[in-house]
Amino acid sequence: MTDQLGALTTIFTEFYYWITVVLMFLIHVGFCMYEVGASRYKHHQHTLMKNTMLIPLVTVTWFFFGWWIYWAFPTGPGLAPSIMNESAALITDDSAFSAKWALPTSDILAVNLGDHITGVFWAAFLLFSWTAASIVSGAVIERITTFAFGICAIAIGSVFWTIDAAWGWHFDGWMLKILGYHDAYASGVIHAVAGGFALGILMVLGPRIGKFSSSGEPRNIGPRNPWLVTIGLFLIYTGFWGFYAACNIPIFDLGPEYGMEGVTYFTATNIYVTPTTLGGITMNFLMSLSGGLLAGYVIAKGDPFWTYSSGLAGIICASAGNDLYHPIQAMIIAMIGVVIAYKLHYWVERKFKIDDAVGAVAVHGYAGVAGLIICGFVLNGYPSSGYNVGSMWVGTDYAPINPLGMFIGAIIMFVVLGLIPGWIIAKVLHGMGKLRIPREVEIAGLDYNLLESAKDDEKAVSSSTR
Amino acid sequence: MATVTNWIDHLSAKEVAGAVYPGAGSTETLLVIVGIVLWIGWHVLTSNSESEELSKLAKKRRSANDHKSNITEW
Repeated sequence: MTDQLGALTTIFTEFYYWITVVLMFLIHVGFCMYEVGASRYKHHQHTLMKNTMLIPLVTVTWFFFGWWIYWAFPTGPGLAPSIMNESAALITDDSAFSAKWALPTSDILAVNLGDHITGVFWAAFLLFSWTAASIVSGAVIERITTFAFGICAIAIGSVFWTIDAAWGWHFDGWMLKILGYHDAYASGVIHAVAGGFALGILMVLGPRIGKFSSSGEPRNIGPRNPWLVTIGLFLIYTGFWGFYAACNIPIFDLGPEYGMEGVTYFTATNIYVTPTTLGGITMNFLMSLSGGLLAGYVIAKGDPFWTYSSGLAGIICASAGNDLYHPIQAMIIAMIGVVIAYKLHYWVERKFKIDDAVGAVAVHGYAGVAGLIICGFVLNGYPSSGYNVGSMWVGTDYAPINPLGMFIGAIIMFVVLGLIPGWIIAKVLHGMGKLRIPREVEIAGLDYNLLESAKDDEKAVSSSTR
Repeated sequence: MATVTNWIDHLSAKEVAGAVYPGAGSTETLLVIVGIVLWIGWHVLTSNSESEELSKLAKKRRSANDHKSNITEW
Protein backbone atom coordinates (compact mmCIF):
# COMPACT_ATOMS: atom_id res chain seq x y z
CA MET A 1 0.00 0.00 0.00
CA THR A 2 1.87 3.02 -1.22
CA ASP A 3 -0.89 5.38 -2.38
CA GLN A 4 -3.67 6.80 -0.22
CA LEU A 5 -6.64 5.65 -2.34
CA GLY A 6 -5.36 2.09 -2.55
CA ALA A 7 -4.66 2.07 1.17
CA LEU A 8 -8.11 3.45 1.96
CA THR A 9 -9.84 0.82 -0.17
CA THR A 10 -7.80 -2.00 1.35
CA ILE A 11 -8.19 -0.91 4.96
CA PHE A 12 -11.90 -0.20 4.43
CA THR A 13 -12.41 -3.69 2.98
CA GLU A 14 -10.42 -5.27 5.80
CA PHE A 15 -12.47 -3.40 8.41
CA TYR A 16 -15.73 -4.17 6.59
CA TYR A 17 -15.20 -7.93 6.79
CA TRP A 18 -13.91 -7.66 10.33
CA ILE A 19 -17.21 -6.05 11.37
CA THR A 20 -19.21 -8.77 9.59
CA VAL A 21 -17.36 -11.42 11.58
CA VAL A 22 -18.24 -9.72 14.86
CA LEU A 23 -21.88 -9.43 13.81
CA MET A 24 -22.01 -13.03 12.66
CA PHE A 25 -20.75 -14.16 16.05
CA LEU A 26 -24.25 -13.28 17.23
CA ILE A 27 -25.64 -16.08 15.07
CA HIS A 28 -23.81 -18.53 17.24
CA VAL A 29 -24.85 -16.84 20.47
CA GLY A 30 -28.41 -17.03 19.15
CA PHE A 31 -28.14 -20.70 18.25
CA CYS A 32 -26.80 -21.53 21.72
CA MET A 33 -29.67 -19.69 23.44
CA TYR A 34 -32.20 -21.15 21.08
CA GLU A 35 -31.05 -24.72 21.62
CA VAL A 36 -30.89 -24.42 25.38
CA GLY A 37 -34.38 -22.89 25.33
CA ALA A 38 -35.66 -25.74 23.20
CA SER A 39 -34.09 -28.53 25.27
CA ARG A 40 -35.45 -29.91 28.53
CA TYR A 41 -33.96 -28.87 31.89
CA LYS A 42 -32.11 -32.13 32.50
CA HIS A 43 -30.17 -31.76 29.21
CA HIS A 44 -29.44 -28.01 29.26
CA GLN A 45 -25.73 -27.90 30.08
CA HIS A 46 -24.68 -30.68 27.72
CA THR A 47 -26.79 -29.13 24.95
CA LEU A 48 -24.99 -25.84 25.45
CA MET A 49 -21.53 -27.42 25.52
CA LYS A 50 -22.19 -29.49 22.42
CA ASN A 51 -22.98 -26.40 20.40
CA THR A 52 -20.20 -24.36 21.99
CA MET A 53 -17.48 -26.89 21.25
CA LEU A 54 -18.20 -26.82 17.54
CA ILE A 55 -16.57 -23.37 17.59
CA PRO A 56 -13.03 -24.62 18.25
CA LEU A 57 -13.48 -27.88 16.34
CA VAL A 58 -14.65 -26.25 13.14
CA THR A 59 -12.18 -23.38 13.53
CA VAL A 60 -9.05 -25.52 13.77
CA THR A 61 -10.14 -27.85 10.96
CA TRP A 62 -11.08 -24.85 8.84
CA PHE A 63 -7.50 -23.67 9.32
CA PHE A 64 -6.02 -27.11 8.57
CA PHE A 65 -8.04 -28.04 5.47
CA GLY A 66 -11.46 -26.33 5.10
CA TRP A 67 -10.14 -23.11 3.60
CA TRP A 68 -7.89 -25.05 1.23
CA ILE A 69 -10.86 -27.08 -0.08
CA TYR A 70 -12.74 -23.89 -1.01
CA TRP A 71 -9.91 -22.63 -3.20
CA ALA A 72 -8.91 -26.03 -4.64
CA PHE A 73 -12.29 -27.43 -5.75
CA PRO A 74 -14.10 -24.88 -7.97
CA THR A 75 -13.47 -26.99 -11.08
CA GLY A 76 -15.05 -30.06 -9.50
CA PRO A 77 -12.32 -31.31 -10.18
CA GLY A 78 -12.74 -32.41 -13.75
CA LEU A 79 -16.11 -30.80 -14.47
CA ALA A 80 -15.29 -27.36 -15.91
CA PRO A 81 -12.05 -25.52 -16.63
CA SER A 82 -10.95 -22.66 -14.43
CA ILE A 83 -11.04 -19.18 -15.94
CA MET A 84 -7.72 -18.53 -14.20
CA ASN A 85 -5.55 -21.32 -15.59
CA GLU A 86 -7.93 -23.06 -18.07
CA SER A 87 -7.35 -26.40 -16.35
CA ALA A 88 -10.11 -28.58 -14.87
CA ALA A 89 -7.75 -30.03 -12.26
CA LEU A 90 -7.66 -28.93 -8.63
CA ILE A 91 -6.48 -25.31 -8.49
CA THR A 92 -3.13 -25.68 -6.77
CA ASP A 93 -0.83 -23.79 -9.16
CA ASP A 94 0.87 -20.44 -8.55
CA SER A 95 -2.08 -18.25 -9.68
CA ALA A 96 -3.39 -15.49 -7.45
CA PHE A 97 -6.48 -17.38 -6.21
CA SER A 98 -4.86 -20.79 -5.92
CA ALA A 99 -5.42 -23.14 -2.99
CA LYS A 100 -1.66 -23.09 -2.59
CA TRP A 101 -2.05 -19.86 -0.58
CA ALA A 102 -4.72 -21.46 1.60
CA LEU A 103 -2.54 -24.26 2.94
CA PRO A 104 -2.11 -24.10 6.72
CA THR A 105 1.62 -23.63 6.15
CA SER A 106 1.06 -20.56 3.96
CA ASP A 107 2.58 -17.38 5.36
CA ILE A 108 -0.47 -15.30 4.42
CA LEU A 109 -2.61 -17.24 6.91
CA ALA A 110 -0.99 -15.18 9.65
CA VAL A 111 0.02 -11.61 10.42
CA ASN A 112 1.39 -10.61 7.05
CA LEU A 113 2.01 -6.98 6.13
CA GLY A 114 1.62 -7.81 2.47
CA ASP A 115 -1.92 -9.17 2.81
CA HIS A 116 -4.66 -7.44 4.79
CA ILE A 117 -7.65 -9.24 3.33
CA THR A 118 -7.08 -13.01 3.48
CA GLY A 119 -7.45 -13.26 7.25
CA VAL A 120 -10.77 -11.44 7.47
CA PHE A 121 -12.12 -13.28 4.43
CA TRP A 122 -11.00 -16.56 6.01
CA ALA A 123 -12.80 -15.59 9.21
CA ALA A 124 -16.00 -14.56 7.41
CA PHE A 125 -16.13 -17.95 5.71
CA LEU A 126 -15.35 -19.65 9.00
CA LEU A 127 -18.38 -18.02 10.58
CA PHE A 128 -20.47 -19.45 7.72
CA SER A 129 -18.98 -22.84 8.66
CA TRP A 130 -20.05 -22.47 12.28
CA THR A 131 -23.54 -21.62 11.10
CA ALA A 132 -23.72 -24.75 8.93
CA ALA A 133 -22.66 -26.92 11.86
CA SER A 134 -24.92 -25.13 14.31
CA ILE A 135 -27.95 -25.70 12.09
CA VAL A 136 -27.31 -29.44 12.44
CA SER A 137 -26.77 -29.13 16.18
CA GLY A 138 -30.35 -28.11 16.99
CA ALA A 139 -31.95 -31.00 15.17
CA VAL A 140 -30.13 -33.70 17.13
CA ILE A 141 -30.32 -32.41 20.71
CA GLU A 142 -30.84 -34.57 23.79
CA ARG A 143 -29.63 -37.88 22.30
CA ILE A 144 -26.44 -37.51 20.22
CA THR A 145 -23.04 -37.93 21.91
CA THR A 146 -20.77 -34.90 21.99
CA PHE A 147 -18.08 -36.93 20.23
CA ALA A 148 -20.38 -37.88 17.35
CA PHE A 149 -21.65 -34.35 17.01
CA GLY A 150 -18.07 -33.05 16.91
CA ILE A 151 -17.27 -35.34 13.97
CA CYS A 152 -20.49 -34.33 12.20
CA ALA A 153 -19.78 -30.64 12.83
CA ILE A 154 -16.32 -30.95 11.29
CA ALA A 155 -17.73 -32.87 8.32
CA ILE A 156 -20.40 -30.30 7.48
CA GLY A 157 -18.48 -27.21 8.66
CA SER A 158 -15.04 -27.90 7.22
CA VAL A 159 -15.68 -30.34 4.37
CA PHE A 160 -19.10 -30.59 2.73
CA TRP A 161 -20.30 -27.01 2.90
CA THR A 162 -16.91 -25.80 1.69
CA ILE A 163 -17.05 -28.19 -1.28
CA ASP A 164 -20.46 -26.81 -2.22
CA ALA A 165 -19.18 -23.28 -1.74
CA ALA A 166 -16.30 -24.03 -4.13
CA TRP A 167 -18.76 -25.49 -6.65
CA GLY A 168 -21.63 -23.00 -6.39
CA TRP A 169 -20.38 -19.89 -4.63
CA HIS A 170 -16.87 -19.34 -5.96
CA PHE A 171 -16.65 -16.95 -8.93
CA ASP A 172 -14.91 -19.79 -10.82
CA GLY A 173 -17.30 -22.57 -9.66
CA TRP A 174 -18.34 -25.25 -12.13
CA MET A 175 -22.00 -25.04 -11.10
CA LEU A 176 -22.17 -21.43 -12.32
CA LYS A 177 -20.67 -22.38 -15.64
CA ILE A 178 -22.54 -25.59 -16.40
CA LEU A 179 -25.83 -25.08 -14.53
CA GLY A 180 -26.17 -21.30 -14.25
CA TYR A 181 -26.35 -21.70 -10.47
CA HIS A 182 -27.05 -18.54 -8.48
CA ASP A 183 -27.27 -18.39 -4.70
CA ALA A 184 -26.22 -14.92 -3.58
CA TYR A 185 -26.99 -15.25 0.15
CA ALA A 186 -26.74 -19.01 0.53
CA SER A 187 -30.22 -20.53 0.40
CA GLY A 188 -28.44 -23.64 -0.81
CA VAL A 189 -24.75 -23.44 -0.03
CA ILE A 190 -25.34 -23.02 3.71
CA HIS A 191 -28.97 -23.76 4.51
CA ALA A 192 -30.05 -26.53 2.13
CA VAL A 193 -26.82 -28.46 2.59
CA ALA A 194 -26.94 -28.21 6.39
CA GLY A 195 -30.65 -29.10 6.45
CA GLY A 196 -30.01 -32.13 4.23
CA PHE A 197 -27.04 -33.18 6.37
CA ALA A 198 -29.16 -32.93 9.53
CA LEU A 199 -31.88 -35.05 7.92
CA GLY A 200 -29.32 -37.71 6.98
CA ILE A 201 -28.15 -37.92 10.61
CA LEU A 202 -31.70 -37.95 11.97
CA MET A 203 -32.61 -40.91 9.76
CA VAL A 204 -29.96 -42.97 11.58
CA LEU A 205 -30.09 -41.34 15.01
CA GLY A 206 -33.82 -41.88 15.59
CA PRO A 207 -36.29 -39.85 17.65
CA ARG A 208 -36.07 -38.82 21.29
CA ILE A 209 -37.63 -41.31 23.71
CA GLY A 210 -41.32 -40.51 24.00
CA LYS A 211 -41.55 -38.43 20.84
CA PHE A 212 -43.84 -40.96 19.18
CA SER A 213 -46.59 -43.00 20.80
CA SER A 214 -46.69 -46.77 20.40
CA SER A 215 -49.11 -46.25 17.51
CA GLY A 216 -46.64 -43.86 15.85
CA GLU A 217 -48.48 -40.62 16.62
CA PRO A 218 -46.02 -37.72 17.11
CA ARG A 219 -46.11 -35.91 20.46
CA ASN A 220 -45.08 -32.31 20.89
CA ILE A 221 -41.98 -31.70 23.04
CA GLY A 222 -42.22 -27.94 23.05
CA PRO A 223 -39.47 -25.50 24.07
CA ARG A 224 -38.95 -25.41 27.83
CA ASN A 225 -38.03 -21.74 27.77
CA PRO A 226 -39.79 -19.86 24.96
CA TRP A 227 -38.20 -16.56 26.04
CA LEU A 228 -34.70 -17.91 25.55
CA VAL A 229 -35.79 -19.23 22.17
CA THR A 230 -37.18 -15.81 21.29
CA ILE A 231 -34.02 -13.93 22.20
CA GLY A 232 -31.97 -16.58 20.45
CA LEU A 233 -33.87 -16.15 17.21
CA PHE A 234 -33.67 -12.35 17.43
CA LEU A 235 -29.91 -12.69 17.79
CA ILE A 236 -29.82 -15.02 14.79
CA TYR A 237 -31.73 -12.40 12.78
CA THR A 238 -29.17 -9.81 13.89
CA GLY A 239 -26.24 -11.99 12.99
CA PHE A 240 -27.86 -12.66 9.65
CA TRP A 241 -27.31 -8.96 8.82
CA GLY A 242 -23.61 -9.60 9.18
CA PHE A 243 -23.95 -12.71 7.08
CA TYR A 244 -25.59 -10.73 4.26
CA ALA A 245 -22.88 -8.09 4.46
CA ALA A 246 -20.15 -10.72 4.45
CA CYS A 247 -21.51 -12.20 1.22
CA ASN A 248 -20.66 -8.95 -0.62
CA ILE A 249 -17.53 -7.26 -1.79
CA PRO A 250 -18.12 -3.72 -0.52
CA ILE A 251 -16.19 -1.79 -3.16
CA PHE A 252 -14.92 -3.06 -6.47
CA ASP A 253 -14.09 -1.57 -9.89
CA LEU A 254 -15.86 -3.86 -12.35
CA GLY A 255 -14.56 -2.12 -15.49
CA PRO A 256 -11.08 -3.64 -15.57
CA GLU A 257 -12.34 -6.82 -13.88
CA TYR A 258 -14.66 -7.57 -16.81
CA GLY A 259 -12.04 -6.44 -19.35
CA MET A 260 -14.02 -3.34 -20.40
CA GLU A 261 -11.43 -1.00 -21.83
CA GLY A 262 -11.47 2.51 -20.37
CA VAL A 263 -14.51 1.81 -18.18
CA THR A 264 -14.39 2.54 -14.47
CA TYR A 265 -17.41 1.32 -12.50
CA PHE A 266 -17.13 1.17 -8.72
CA THR A 267 -19.91 -0.74 -6.98
CA ALA A 268 -20.65 -3.27 -4.27
CA THR A 269 -20.89 -6.78 -5.67
CA ASN A 270 -22.24 -10.11 -4.54
CA ILE A 271 -20.00 -13.15 -4.02
CA TYR A 272 -20.01 -13.81 -7.78
CA VAL A 273 -18.55 -10.35 -8.46
CA THR A 274 -21.74 -9.12 -10.16
CA PRO A 275 -23.14 -5.74 -9.15
CA THR A 276 -25.74 -5.14 -6.45
CA THR A 277 -26.38 -2.49 -3.81
CA LEU A 278 -26.25 -2.77 -0.05
CA GLY A 279 -29.38 -0.61 0.03
CA GLY A 280 -31.32 -3.00 -2.17
CA ILE A 281 -30.35 -6.12 -0.28
CA THR A 282 -31.19 -4.43 3.02
CA MET A 283 -34.73 -3.83 1.77
CA ASN A 284 -34.99 -7.40 0.56
CA PHE A 285 -33.68 -8.77 3.84
CA LEU A 286 -36.35 -6.89 5.77
CA MET A 287 -39.16 -7.66 3.36
CA SER A 288 -38.35 -11.38 3.30
CA LEU A 289 -38.16 -11.40 7.11
CA SER A 290 -41.56 -9.71 7.15
CA GLY A 291 -43.03 -12.11 4.62
CA GLY A 292 -41.80 -15.05 6.68
CA LEU A 293 -43.23 -13.67 9.91
CA LEU A 294 -46.58 -12.83 8.31
CA ALA A 295 -46.97 -16.27 6.75
CA GLY A 296 -45.66 -18.06 9.84
CA TYR A 297 -48.10 -16.29 12.14
CA VAL A 298 -51.01 -17.40 9.97
CA ILE A 299 -49.98 -20.97 9.25
CA ALA A 300 -48.83 -21.71 12.81
CA LYS A 301 -51.89 -19.96 14.25
CA GLY A 302 -49.81 -17.49 16.22
CA ASP A 303 -47.47 -20.06 17.78
CA PRO A 304 -44.39 -18.02 18.78
CA PHE A 305 -41.84 -20.79 18.19
CA TRP A 306 -42.92 -21.31 14.59
CA THR A 307 -43.60 -17.64 13.89
CA TYR A 308 -40.03 -16.67 14.83
CA SER A 309 -38.63 -19.65 12.94
CA SER A 310 -40.71 -18.64 9.94
CA GLY A 311 -39.10 -15.20 9.89
CA LEU A 312 -35.78 -16.97 9.50
CA ALA A 313 -37.18 -19.44 6.94
CA GLY A 314 -38.52 -16.51 4.94
CA ILE A 315 -35.12 -14.85 4.69
CA ILE A 316 -33.51 -18.18 3.84
CA CYS A 317 -35.98 -18.88 1.04
CA ALA A 318 -35.49 -15.48 -0.59
CA SER A 319 -31.73 -15.40 -0.07
CA ALA A 320 -30.72 -17.07 -3.33
CA GLY A 321 -31.90 -14.09 -5.34
CA ASN A 322 -32.06 -11.28 -2.80
CA ASP A 323 -29.27 -9.46 -4.64
CA LEU A 324 -31.68 -8.82 -7.53
CA TYR A 325 -35.30 -9.32 -6.39
CA HIS A 326 -37.82 -6.52 -5.94
CA PRO A 327 -38.70 -6.22 -2.22
CA ILE A 328 -42.27 -7.42 -2.81
CA GLN A 329 -40.96 -10.40 -4.77
CA ALA A 330 -38.72 -11.16 -1.78
CA MET A 331 -41.70 -10.95 0.57
CA ILE A 332 -43.90 -13.26 -1.54
CA ILE A 333 -41.10 -15.80 -2.05
CA ALA A 334 -40.51 -15.81 1.71
CA MET A 335 -44.20 -16.52 2.32
CA ILE A 336 -44.19 -19.42 -0.14
CA GLY A 337 -41.06 -20.87 1.45
CA VAL A 338 -42.55 -20.74 4.93
CA VAL A 339 -45.73 -22.56 3.91
CA ILE A 340 -43.70 -25.29 2.15
CA ALA A 341 -41.28 -25.69 5.07
CA TYR A 342 -44.00 -25.84 7.72
CA LYS A 343 -46.19 -28.31 5.83
CA LEU A 344 -43.25 -30.53 4.88
CA HIS A 345 -41.95 -30.60 8.46
CA TYR A 346 -45.13 -32.14 9.83
CA TRP A 347 -45.65 -34.42 6.84
CA VAL A 348 -42.12 -35.87 7.13
CA GLU A 349 -42.42 -36.15 10.91
CA ARG A 350 -45.67 -38.13 10.67
CA LYS A 351 -44.79 -40.20 7.62
CA PHE A 352 -41.16 -41.12 8.36
CA LYS A 353 -41.04 -40.68 12.17
CA ILE A 354 -38.26 -38.11 11.91
CA ASP A 355 -37.78 -36.13 15.12
CA ASP A 356 -36.26 -32.79 14.14
CA ALA A 357 -36.24 -31.19 17.58
CA VAL A 358 -36.10 -27.55 16.45
CA GLY A 359 -37.44 -27.76 12.89
CA ALA A 360 -33.95 -27.15 11.47
CA VAL A 361 -34.43 -29.39 8.46
CA ALA A 362 -37.58 -27.47 7.59
CA VAL A 363 -36.41 -23.92 8.28
CA HIS A 364 -33.02 -24.34 6.63
CA GLY A 365 -33.33 -27.36 4.35
CA TYR A 366 -36.80 -27.25 2.84
CA ALA A 367 -36.96 -23.44 2.74
CA GLY A 368 -33.48 -23.34 1.17
CA VAL A 369 -34.38 -25.85 -1.52
CA ALA A 370 -37.64 -24.02 -2.28
CA GLY A 371 -35.70 -20.76 -2.52
CA LEU A 372 -33.26 -22.17 -5.07
CA ILE A 373 -36.02 -23.56 -7.27
CA ILE A 374 -38.05 -20.35 -7.13
CA CYS A 375 -34.93 -18.31 -7.92
CA GLY A 376 -34.45 -20.32 -11.14
CA PHE A 377 -37.83 -19.11 -12.39
CA VAL A 378 -37.78 -15.52 -11.11
CA LEU A 379 -34.21 -14.78 -12.26
CA ASN A 380 -34.45 -16.92 -15.41
CA GLY A 381 -32.12 -15.42 -18.04
CA TYR A 382 -29.94 -13.27 -15.76
CA PRO A 383 -26.21 -13.93 -16.16
CA SER A 384 -24.76 -16.12 -13.43
CA SER A 385 -21.46 -14.25 -13.80
CA GLY A 386 -20.19 -10.99 -15.21
CA TYR A 387 -17.29 -12.55 -17.06
CA ASN A 388 -18.90 -14.14 -20.12
CA VAL A 389 -22.24 -15.87 -20.57
CA GLY A 390 -22.80 -18.76 -22.95
CA SER A 391 -25.17 -21.70 -22.75
CA MET A 392 -25.83 -24.58 -20.37
CA TRP A 393 -23.65 -27.69 -20.11
CA VAL A 394 -20.68 -26.25 -22.06
CA GLY A 395 -18.57 -25.32 -19.07
CA THR A 396 -15.99 -23.12 -20.77
CA ASP A 397 -18.10 -20.01 -20.15
CA TYR A 398 -21.01 -19.29 -17.76
CA ALA A 399 -24.59 -20.51 -18.29
CA PRO A 400 -27.36 -18.03 -17.51
CA ILE A 401 -29.59 -18.60 -14.46
CA ASN A 402 -32.40 -21.02 -15.39
CA PRO A 403 -35.01 -23.24 -13.66
CA LEU A 404 -33.50 -26.62 -14.59
CA GLY A 405 -29.99 -25.66 -13.51
CA MET A 406 -31.28 -24.31 -10.21
CA PHE A 407 -33.35 -27.45 -9.61
CA ILE A 408 -30.31 -29.66 -10.21
CA GLY A 409 -28.30 -27.32 -7.99
CA ALA A 410 -30.87 -27.74 -5.20
CA ILE A 411 -30.57 -31.53 -5.44
CA ILE A 412 -26.78 -31.31 -5.31
CA MET A 413 -26.94 -29.14 -2.20
CA PHE A 414 -29.64 -30.95 -0.22
CA VAL A 415 -29.09 -34.57 -1.26
CA VAL A 416 -25.63 -35.08 -2.78
CA LEU A 417 -23.58 -32.92 -0.40
CA GLY A 418 -26.03 -32.89 2.53
CA LEU A 419 -28.27 -35.88 3.13
CA ILE A 420 -26.04 -38.64 1.73
CA PRO A 421 -22.82 -37.67 3.58
CA GLY A 422 -24.81 -37.06 6.80
CA TRP A 423 -26.42 -40.48 6.55
CA ILE A 424 -23.13 -42.27 5.79
CA ILE A 425 -21.22 -40.58 8.62
CA ALA A 426 -24.05 -41.27 11.07
CA LYS A 427 -24.13 -44.93 9.96
CA VAL A 428 -20.39 -45.27 10.57
CA LEU A 429 -20.64 -43.66 14.02
CA HIS A 430 -23.64 -45.83 14.83
CA GLY A 431 -21.66 -48.91 13.78
CA MET A 432 -18.89 -47.88 16.19
CA GLY A 433 -21.46 -47.51 18.99
CA LYS A 434 -20.57 -43.83 19.29
CA LEU A 435 -23.60 -42.06 17.81
CA ARG A 436 -26.29 -42.13 20.47
CA ILE A 437 -26.20 -41.84 24.24
CA PRO A 438 -27.45 -44.85 26.27
CA ARG A 439 -31.21 -45.06 26.80
CA GLU A 440 -30.77 -44.84 30.59
CA VAL A 441 -28.86 -41.57 30.25
CA GLU A 442 -31.43 -40.07 27.94
CA ILE A 443 -34.15 -40.86 30.49
CA ALA A 444 -32.17 -39.65 33.50
CA GLY A 445 -30.88 -36.56 31.68
CA LEU A 446 -27.42 -35.80 30.34
CA ASP A 447 -26.90 -33.32 33.17
CA TYR A 448 -27.87 -35.73 35.98
CA ASN A 449 -24.39 -35.96 37.45
CA LEU A 450 -23.86 -32.21 37.21
CA LEU A 451 -27.17 -31.53 38.95
CA GLU A 452 -26.45 -34.10 41.65
CA SER A 453 -23.05 -32.59 42.26
CA ALA A 454 -24.49 -29.08 42.47
CA LYS A 455 -27.07 -30.29 45.01
CA ASP A 456 -24.31 -31.83 47.12
CA ASP A 457 -22.43 -28.53 47.00
CA GLU A 458 -25.54 -26.68 48.10
CA LYS A 459 -26.07 -29.03 51.02
CA ALA A 460 -22.43 -28.72 52.07
CA VAL A 461 -22.51 -24.93 52.00
CA SER A 462 -25.86 -24.81 53.85
CA SER A 463 -24.62 -27.08 56.61
CA SER A 464 -21.48 -25.01 57.11
CA THR A 465 -23.47 -21.77 57.55
CA ARG A 466 -25.90 -23.04 60.20
CA MET B 1 12.77 -16.46 16.72
CA ALA B 2 12.17 -12.73 16.18
CA THR B 3 11.50 -12.01 12.52
CA VAL B 4 11.66 -8.25 13.07
CA THR B 5 14.16 -6.57 15.38
CA ASN B 6 13.94 -3.04 14.03
CA TRP B 7 10.76 -1.69 12.39
CA ILE B 8 12.52 1.22 10.67
CA ASP B 9 14.98 -1.13 8.98
CA HIS B 10 12.19 -3.55 8.17
CA LEU B 11 9.81 -1.04 6.59
CA SER B 12 12.48 0.88 4.69
CA ALA B 13 13.92 -2.23 3.06
CA LYS B 14 13.69 -2.44 -0.75
CA GLU B 15 11.32 -5.38 -0.46
CA VAL B 16 9.32 -5.40 2.78
CA ALA B 17 8.86 -8.97 4.02
CA GLY B 18 5.17 -9.50 4.75
CA ALA B 19 5.24 -12.29 7.32
CA VAL B 20 6.29 -10.89 10.70
CA TYR B 21 5.30 -13.63 13.15
CA PRO B 22 8.02 -15.42 15.15
CA GLY B 23 9.74 -18.14 13.14
CA ALA B 24 8.37 -16.96 9.79
CA GLY B 25 9.56 -19.12 6.91
CA SER B 26 10.98 -21.92 9.01
CA THR B 27 8.47 -23.17 11.57
CA GLU B 28 5.12 -23.37 9.74
CA THR B 29 5.22 -27.11 8.98
CA LEU B 30 6.20 -27.98 12.53
CA LEU B 31 3.42 -25.75 13.89
CA VAL B 32 0.83 -27.46 11.68
CA ILE B 33 2.00 -30.93 12.80
CA VAL B 34 1.77 -29.88 16.45
CA GLY B 35 -1.68 -28.40 15.81
CA ILE B 36 -2.96 -31.59 14.19
CA VAL B 37 -1.60 -33.74 17.03
CA LEU B 38 -3.38 -31.51 19.56
CA TRP B 39 -6.62 -31.66 17.57
CA ILE B 40 -6.65 -35.46 17.18
CA GLY B 41 -5.50 -35.91 20.78
CA TRP B 42 -8.39 -33.80 22.02
CA HIS B 43 -10.88 -36.09 20.27
CA VAL B 44 -9.29 -39.20 21.76
CA LEU B 45 -9.25 -37.77 25.30
CA THR B 46 -12.80 -36.42 25.24
CA SER B 47 -14.24 -39.46 23.52
CA ASN B 48 -12.84 -41.75 26.21
CA SER B 49 -13.97 -39.55 29.09
CA GLU B 50 -17.44 -39.13 27.59
CA SER B 51 -17.86 -42.90 27.14
CA GLU B 52 -16.80 -43.47 30.74
CA GLU B 53 -19.15 -40.80 32.07
CA LEU B 54 -22.11 -42.09 30.05
CA SER B 55 -21.63 -45.70 31.09
CA LYS B 56 -21.35 -44.73 34.79
CA LEU B 57 -24.52 -42.68 34.57
CA ALA B 58 -26.33 -45.42 32.66
CA LYS B 59 -25.59 -47.89 35.46
CA LYS B 60 -27.42 -45.64 37.98
CA ARG B 61 -30.69 -46.28 36.13
CA ARG B 62 -32.37 -43.07 37.29
CA SER B 63 -35.96 -42.40 36.32
CA ALA B 64 -37.12 -39.51 34.16
CA ASN B 65 -38.00 -37.31 37.15
CA ASP B 66 -35.16 -38.11 39.57
CA HIS B 67 -33.21 -35.04 38.49
CA LYS B 68 -35.90 -32.82 40.01
CA SER B 69 -34.74 -33.67 43.52
CA ASN B 70 -31.34 -32.26 42.58
CA ILE B 71 -32.49 -28.84 41.44
CA THR B 72 -30.69 -26.32 43.62
CA GLU B 73 -32.39 -23.37 45.28
CA TRP B 74 -29.50 -20.97 45.42
